[in-house]
Amino acid sequence: MKNIKLILLSCLMVMLTFSSCDETLDINTDPQAAPNANPNALFPYVFTTYSARTVTELGTRICDVSQYISNTFNSPNRGNVSQFLTGNAWRVYYTDVLSNLSLVIRDAEAAGASSNNINAVAKIFSAHIYIQSTSLWEDIPFTEALNFDQFPTPQFDSQRDVLLGVVALLDESIQLIDTRDTSSEFDFQVGDILYDGEISKWRILANSLKLRALMLLRSGGEDVTTQINATLAQPLMSDNADAAFIPYSGDPGQQNAMATIISQFFGAGGNEVQNIFGPGDPIDALLNGSGDPRWDLWVARNDLPAPGNDVFPNNADSVLSNNIIRTTLPDMIMTPAEMDLYKAELALDGFTAAGDAQTNYRNGVRNSIDWWNGDIPGFTGTAVAPADVTAYVNGLATPTANDIFNEQYLASFLMPVLSWNHVRRNRVPVLSPPPAATIPTILKRFTYPVDETGANPNTPSNKLTEDPMWFENL
Amino acid sequence: MINSNNYTMKTKFNGILTLLLALVVHFSFAQERIISGTVSDESGPLPGVNVLKKGTSSGTETDFDGKYSIKAKNGDILVFSFVGMKTVERTVGASSNISFTMESDNVLEEVVVTALGISKSAKSLGYATDVIKSEELVKARESNIINSLQGKVTGVKVTSSGGNLGGSSNIIVRGVTSLSGRNNPLFIVDGVILNNQQTAGNGDRITGNRDFANGAATINPDDVESMNVLKGAAATALYGSRAAAGVIIITTKRGRKGQGGPTVSFNSSLRFDELFRTPNYQNEYAMGFDGKYNSNSTNDWGPRIVGQTVPNLPITGLPGALTSIEDNGVNEFFNTGVTAINNFSIADADEKLDYRLSLTALNQTGILPGAELDRYTFNFNAGVKHNDKLQSRFTVQYTKTESTGTGAVGANDPNIVSLATFSNSVDPRLYDPWIDASGNQINKLVTNDGNTESNNLLWLRNENSNDRNDDRFVGSFEMKYTPIEKLTFTGRAGLDFQDDKRLIENNNGTIGRLLGDFRVDNIRRSFLTVDLFGNYATDFTEDLSFNAIVGTQYNSRLNEIETLTGVQLTIPNLFSPGNVAQRIPERDFDESRLIGLYSSIEFGYKDWATLTLTARNDWSSTLPKNGNSFFYPSASLAFIFSDAFNIESDVLSFGKLRASWAQVGNDARPYALDFRYFPATEAAGQYSLNNNFPFDGRLGFVATQTIPNADLVPEETTSYEFGLDLRLFNNKIGLDISYFNSDNDNQILNIPIPQSTGFARRTVNAGSINTEGFEVAIDATPISTENFTWNTNVNFSQVESTVTELVGGVERTLIQSAFGSVQIQAIPGKEFQLWAIPFLRDEETGRPIINPTTGRRQAGDARAFGSVLPDWTGGWVNTFSYKGFTLSSTVDVSWGGIMKSATVEDLQTQGLVAETLVNREGTFIDTEGILVTNNPDGSVTRTDNNIPLRNAQDFWTSLDDASVSEAFIYDASFVKLREVALSYTLPSSIFNEKSFFKSVTLGIEGRNLALLYSKVPHIDPEANLFGSGAVGGFGVERASVPSTRSYGFNVKLRF
Repeated sequence: MKNIKLILLSCLMVMLTFSSCDETLDINTDPQAAPNANPNALFPYVFTTYSARTVTELGTRICDVSQYISNTFNSPNRGNVSQFLTGNAWRVYYTDVLSNLSLVIRDAEAAGASSNNINAVAKIFSAHIYIQSTSLWEDIPFTEALNFDQFPTPQFDSQRDVLLGVVALLDESIQLIDTRDTSSEFDFQVGDILYDGEISKWRILANSLKLRALMLLRSGGEDVTTQINATLAQPLMSDNADAAFIPYSGDPGQQNAMATIISQFFGAGGNEVQNIFGPGDPIDALLNGSGDPRWDLWVARNDLPAPGNDVFPNNADSVLSNNIIRTTLPDMIMTPAEMDLYKAELALDGFTAAGDAQTNYRNGVRNSIDWWNGDIPGFTGTAVAPADVTAYVNGLATPTANDIFNEQYLASFLMPVLSWNHVRRNRVPVLSPPPAATIPTILKRFTYPVDETGANPNTPSNKLTEDPMWFENL
Repeated sequence: MINSNNYTMKTKFNGILTLLLALVVHFSFAQERIISGTVSDESGPLPGVNVLKKGTSSGTETDFDGKYSIKAKNGDILVFSFVGMKTVERTVGASSNISFTMESDNVLEEVVVTALGISKSAKSLGYATDVIKSEELVKARESNIINSLQGKVTGVKVTSSGGNLGGSSNIIVRGVTSLSGRNNPLFIVDGVILNNQQTAGNGDRITGNRDFANGAATINPDDVESMNVLKGAAATALYGSRAAAGVIIITTKRGRKGQGGPTVSFNSSLRFDELFRTPNYQNEYAMGFDGKYNSNSTNDWGPRIVGQTVPNLPITGLPGALTSIEDNGVNEFFNTGVTAINNFSIADADEKLDYRLSLTALNQTGILPGAELDRYTFNFNAGVKHNDKLQSRFTVQYTKTESTGTGAVGANDPNIVSLATFSNSVDPRLYDPWIDASGNQINKLVTNDGNTESNNLLWLRNENSNDRNDDRFVGSFEMKYTPIEKLTFTGRAGLDFQDDKRLIENNNGTIGRLLGDFRVDNIRRSFLTVDLFGNYATDFTEDLSFNAIVGTQYNSRLNEIETLTGVQLTIPNLFSPGNVAQRIPERDFDESRLIGLYSSIEFGYKDWATLTLTARNDWSSTLPKNGNSFFYPSASLAFIFSDAFNIESDVLSFGKLRASWAQVGNDARPYALDFRYFPATEAAGQYSLNNNFPFDGRLGFVATQTIPNADLVPEETTSYEFGLDLRLFNNKIGLDISYFNSDNDNQILNIPIPQSTGFARRTVNAGSINTEGFEVAIDATPISTENFTWNTNVNFSQVESTVTELVGGVERTLIQSAFGSVQIQAIPGKEFQLWAIPFLRDEETGRPIINPTTGRRQAGDARAFGSVLPDWTGGWVNTFSYKGFTLSSTVDVSWGGIMKSATVEDLQTQGLVAETLVNREGTFIDTEGILVTNNPDGSVTRTDNNIPLRNAQDFWTSLDDASVSEAFIYDASFVKLREVALSYTLPSSIFNEKSFFKSVTLGIEGRNLALLYSKVPHIDPEANLFGSGAVGGFGVERASVPSTRSYGFNVKLRF
């Protein structure tokens, strides 16, 4: 009898425990995840992840390809592109940045005109990523990208088509901004690391990125005269206050990796003590003795020679100054000098809408110097007196195309992809490959990563890393 | 010895221990008299044989000398039984002496524990099982019990990860059956589903992975009565989900009757570990590059060592003559590891109660300086027979494991020390001391120019600890109720709870982590299993028996990981959240539940045919609600034709055919159905230079990178198996053959998709694997004399796991990524493939095409190189017994399959090993290469390569340019002398019931003694990068902690 009671009791207990099969099993909802996320949550991830990868990967590894830094770690500058480098950059661009932006765009389009602003912002930053990507790999998925349901194995678009697509995307984003409904607009200030929700600055960035893309198209041989003139007629970035960058506060976890790579791996005292990043030969050649204030702002021990191509500095060489390689160095996406110098280049080529070549040229140099002389956030150096800057700029001769190209190169300092584009597009300054290079030219391209080639049969065969890109028009 | 359906170990002393407490029942019938005699087996007197008067409960056991005496009368039938022997019945006649020799009955009476913990006669099983008895597990005891199976069980492949103390071991049964990595069998301990999960230390399997143990390593060999490997789906079908990869049922020891008191035993081993394999280092050329000496280089491409003086010797920086240290000093750096295993147990039983309590201490120091492991296991098992109808049993195991100094493997971590870390120019003894009074790292390697430093290896080993502190509780409670004779209800609840705490530290001043950091992982896992089932057994007729089981199971699995990373210590060596500039907390949680209903019906006919049908339905929380129910049936048949056809011959002693068909399945991981956004804690950068959220005061969320799938269906394994079990020549030779074939469909997998889609993977029922193979086990006793026995066992398993289909015509899919271009891929029509970048080769000649400018080889397009799984595995186990001496050895073979070794890559590209001496200083032309010129007319000119490289160094260092792996991919076949043990048991004649000792066995033992065959140079071909928890963790080695050879002593005492 006792046993029976026990058994009955046990059965009752079991029945109570699993009173409802459905309820017991209804636990398959991840308690650590959200079903949706708005742009104020997604934008910070997108911008920060973009920057973390750009600075640590491209920043610390390919600055010696365009040779504004003498040597970097695990660099592809001799001709071999490691799978880590190419794979990490590709993955972050497509699956972290573009993917989350496409989700923002999807939701914004569903929401309509009140979300035009965030729709435009997501498209503008996507356009930037596509320019970066085509600059690294040339042909990339664009029209079929980010749409698995329709295109599980995206076709690759030619560089020309990507850049034309980017221009259209930017036109679209400007259109969205111009037709936005401001009455009940989505406030994205919390998520906007670049401009704190100021949509007018995004519009300027959009138009300026358009000109960046058009300059590459023009270089590739595409007739984009009309579009360039239209772009010149719209506000372009002209004031350092409009510069696009990811800021680094310098607090732990918010430090530019050009500096933390030194403090983590080499020791204290910064670059000037640890001798990691030295000025590349072209920087030395262009600035040393030129009277350009950037020489003193950028380079420490600058009475000593530059370390040389593919060589790390030592105490007998000049090095980049701690004013440059610092934890608060912003990750620059665009500064106005780039626009000024495009306009100078265009003016020289007969684009009247671009204005006067010399004025633009001087504006560009001035903007670049001002940027490094204190307009840049977190400036810690000894500023050059504005009058001295003015004197230097006013003393510049009427520029030749080469002068403009050299200034474009200087103005892209610490912007690894832009700088690389300038030297490939302009072939000025003329760069020699490193002595131990396995290719006869400087590196011209990344190879496609195995993660893409492995999963996407539409990936084109890799070209040699010395083969020029379409925009180089060689 | 372990072999199918074969039970060869006779533990005489188990019987002895019960002797003096045996029931001595006095009978007072006038006609009874004392019958006595001696019972022997082929090797002599047999103690512990049960002697029962048939039809009564009165009986006795034979004593140490096989003698018994019992009161009986004429016509009484005495039943003599002993495990592993044929039961003998003798009728009492005129003689008062009944003596005889028992015959081994390996197959016939063996009882094995099957699904749900139900014991069944082995001969009634329609599928193959392997039983490993406790004696085997405590022979040369392993700290990870899985390793004890190496070479001993057909169809079981064990891969340990290297020489790490407390490292993980991977076990697969009958090949890989899953693309999603669920290839490890289910472990069941006393009815409790055990978590065998393995979480990589450092959160990453390839970047500085600390290979911490898999869950099943907590099982203490001393407490295991038997391990039963259920291989086919029919054997495991009652377990339903998750049993597709086999089941290992572990039964722990219970208390037994002692001799006038409790049985107290003590088992002690002391073993020493040393490097298993030392690379063939070169001693002629010093540290440096391009023929120039450098006092801090990872390379030995420096100048020839001719007694020259350099101004800065490594570490000391003092001027002196360059010298070369033998074997690059690895023997000076690595310690002799010491392992002490001490087990104490006490057990007793009477008719009502039984219990066994065991305490085990495993104390190890590793070959890596600073590596220590201490594991203490408390095991208690008690049963009560409340009355004729009700029994209960309680088991609990608590294990405390503490380890320090686990080695880091893989890459991108400053703490990695591999066999390629050592230069012949550096005497590692100079690393001592590694720290000064102020806590700074000293005695580092510094380059000639003083600019670049490398860590002092002893600093890494002593200041940056990798601690693990694991508490594990596995307990169960079971009640059995038998309301009527033939019906039993069993209720069982079991819990496996793990609290695994890890601390990985990098002290300030560690080059690569100069600011200091730490990572704390608190891992909590809780697996609950509740079973309720009824078992009804009856004989319909004299010939027809029936056995039915109906039951239900509830199972829940909860995993929780909380991680705190702290970066930039303020006070050195203080790894506290308050002492860091940056704190990054993370939390991971998942829970899944499953409810099952099951039934098994068994029909037996005349003891020679058994048909078993099972059915199970599962409802899983991880599948879509409208499709979370799945049904699995199985059928198996055992047919003993030797009995059915009454074959009585000297040749064939026993013959059984078995056949089975079954379906089992698997559900999905939790949370694979819905699209979700996750709060981000970090924005990852290269070199671990990460940004953290909140960034600029802002939080970040990120969408999943895996496209979920709301329409998943369960994975399904459909298999069939045929087997033949023969015993020949009076059981002297046993032969067991199995053929099996299983189709594993609807594999749930996160398949990689082009990242240009915006996602890296998507969850799908992705494809199918077919697994086909056969197993042969031969067990023979070629020599059996009064004093000497030689038993030999050969087992052979051939398994081919072929990916048969991938969803949507996908050409291939990634299973596991190692680094960059080395991957394990699933390709239809093939086994798991090593996918890597080859040399660019000339299509016509197959020779590497040389770059005419550099003289170097070039990279081709990535391709599959071959299967990472062996073609076949086998083992050869021999046991020789002479009087009290027993010598046993195990040789195991893994044949076929390939692997990539990054350690060999480093050894060669860094010029550390002997083959890099060839033509070191002369002109170096890669003569295997060919020059191919495409002429303008479309023709091709081929010439033997005559373009010199810069030098030998240029040849070796360029071999892995552009991530080419081909030069470092090897046939992974090996033959190893896995285990040798020699033991001596003092003759029982010297003990009597008053002796302090009841049994004494002394032994010497060794494991991983010799590599008898391998094509992989320099390293142990068994080494593995990923750890047992990886999805397809095969075929890649990278900077593994070197594996060890161990030898030592063992003493077993019984009081």
